[in-house]
Amino acid sequence: MTLLSVKDLYVTFRTESGIVEAVRGVSFDLGRERLGIVGESGSGKTMTGRSVLRLIRPPGRIDAVEMTFDGIDLLKISERQMRALRGKRIAMVMQDPKYSLNPVMRVGEQLTEGLRRRDGLRGAELHRKAIAALEAVQIRDPERVLRAYPHELSGGMGQRVMIAMMLIPQPDLLIADEPTSALDVTVQAEVLSILDGLVRDRGMGLIFISHDLRLVGRFCDRVLVMYKGRVVEELEAKHLMQAQHPYTQGLLNCLPRIGGDRGPLPGLDRAAAWAG
Amino acid sequence: MALIEIDNLSVTFDAGDRYVHAVQGVSLTVHARESFGLVGESGSGKSTILRAICGLAPISGGAIRIDGKPLQTPRGFDFARRVQMVFQDPYASLHPRHTIDRTLAEPLAIHRIGDTDRRVVQALRDVGLDPSFRFRYPHQLSGGQRQRVAIARALMLEPEILLLDEPTSALDASVQAETLNLLSRLRAERGLTFLMVSHDLAVIDHMCDRILVMQHGRAVEELDRDQLAAGAMKTGYARTLFNASADRMLDG
Ligand SMILES: Nc1ncnc2c1ncn2[C@@H]1O[C@H](COP(=O)(O)OP(=O)(O)OP(=O)(O)O)[C@@H](O)[C@H]1O
Ligand SMILES: Nc1ncnc2c1ncn2[C@@H]1O[C@H](COP(=O)(O)OP(=O)(O)OP(=O)(O)O)[C@@H](O)[C@H]1O
Ligand SMILES: [Mg+2]
Ligand SMILES: [Mg+2]
Repeated sequence: MTLLSVKDLYVTFRTESGIVEAVRGVSFDLGRERLGIVGESGSGKTMTGRSVLRLIRPPGRIDAVEMTFDGIDLLKISERQMRALRGKRIAMVMQDPKYSLNPVMRVGEQLTEGLRRRDGLRGAELHRKAIAALEAVQIRDPERVLRAYPHELSGGMGQRVMIAMMLIPQPDLLIADEPTSALDVTVQAEVLSILDGLVRDRGMGLIFISHDLRLVGRFCDRVLVMYKGRVVEELEAKHLMQAQHPYTQGLLNCLPRIGGDRGPLPGLDRAAAWAG
Repeated sequence: MALIEIDNLSVTFDAGDRYVHAVQGVSLTVHARESFGLVGESGSGKSTILRAICGLAPISGGAIRIDGKPLQTPRGFDFARRVQMVFQDPYASLHPRHTIDRTLAEPLAIHRIGDTDRRVVQALRDVGLDPSFRFRYPHQLSGGQRQRVAIARALMLEPEILLLDEPTSALDASVQAETLNLLSRLRAERGLTFLMVSHDLAVIDHMCDRILVMQHGRAVEELDRDQLAAGAMKTGYARTLFNASADRMLDG
């Protein structure tokens, strides 16, 4: 079943030095599955994710032939209807979590805002839910973290707080933008297994944006490979390591290895023709 | 001769109603021209050690010496010339209302170094960014582009010691390769010394001569590169980290 359908998405910015086409004709369908988006820095991954929530700040603009979520035309609904979807039915874990958290509000207040406002929870039950959400993402000292301000968290703790916060309303679609880029492998594995469980047990759709090819290859069902604003390859994640596209192969070759020779890493031969 | 000596360092934050013992009795030494890696659990105190060197964390015990001399508080002008840090959170080090041009030119102005235009353009090129990015603001860049501006900024003053906190964690494989190659080349050419944090053991193995594994604010185990490559760790935690990473490499 298709949860999200995107056809021919363009994101453009008018800047002083000309027009930047961040996304150029991206199309994909998402079911209740794990869809990975990989690609070079600046290839348009974040802008693709933010477009779904219509979170592109002016002067940036979104154009698409279609953008439908669960039968709702995301291009047509009012900003008010969009706000009702955001966070609640479609949530996004931002790439810069500490920057996306409110710097002058304690973590606990931000984490429980929805629970208080939407679900009317108070007191001990509210506290218990908040602690459980933090423990699920392997926060060691949840009591302290609830009372901390964002700047008092480590990079990976900020990332995990953001994930916990986005999962509390039980969204139908989660867009996770580099959600584990600051996590060590053991904590990362725990966080991934939470996301995995939500896709399998609750049928959540997941867009997993990452630059980590090996991780996406292991964790996702399908992968879109982006280059210069376009999707240049779409494949089953388990076939990522045997990718055909020269760009995808090139990316795989640039990775350092434990016990490698430490010589200069192979670079990528960026053929302009790939992106057309 | 040890260039950076960290001797039984403790850092304690006062979080109002309790103390956070972020770093507890950690010692390490980094020799001149060496590259030393910090790895470990999220929240284990890696960034705090780098911040303590820069005078940005409350040291509650132990000492930090550079060239055998204790550091002055506040760190001052000469320190900035010698030691530069690339922060984990690139947004935190980039002023939101300053263009990239201003961000890169500012350290030059403060230290009265001329030839600004050429240096700024070269710094952008070094990190693989087109000079047209000069007049953009941080929010007009992708995550990886911001991270590269932060690296470029740290290189502006041609420091001798670079403290690198997850310098490539927001970068895809190709830009990571280019950035690591740049850092390695600068280290060879200018005789730089690195103290770097990464959660990616393959990156650490590629870049570092020795590593320290941390957990809960403490040093767990120090390894040299051969021990890391051979998987010759003694502690359970270091082994867990290695196994979880090695497993990712199987099909890679
Ligand atoms: N406000 C803006 N004005 C102009 N250009 C922008 C703006 N925001 C983003 N861009 C450009 O759009 C392109 C795509 O950005 P996006 O953030 O989607 O990249 P990304 O694939 O997420 O990269 P990364 O892996 O580095 O995060 C980049 O080249 C970026 O510089
Ligand atoms: N200003 C602060 N006030 C209170 N506690 C702090 C402050 N800064 C850091 N801490 C705490 O110190 C501990 C170590 O944080 P640090 O940022 O050094 O971890 P890290 O090893 O870099 O983790 P990560 O890999 O997630 O970035 C964490 O528990 C964090 O919450
Ligand atoms: Mg991005
Ligand atoms: Mg850190």
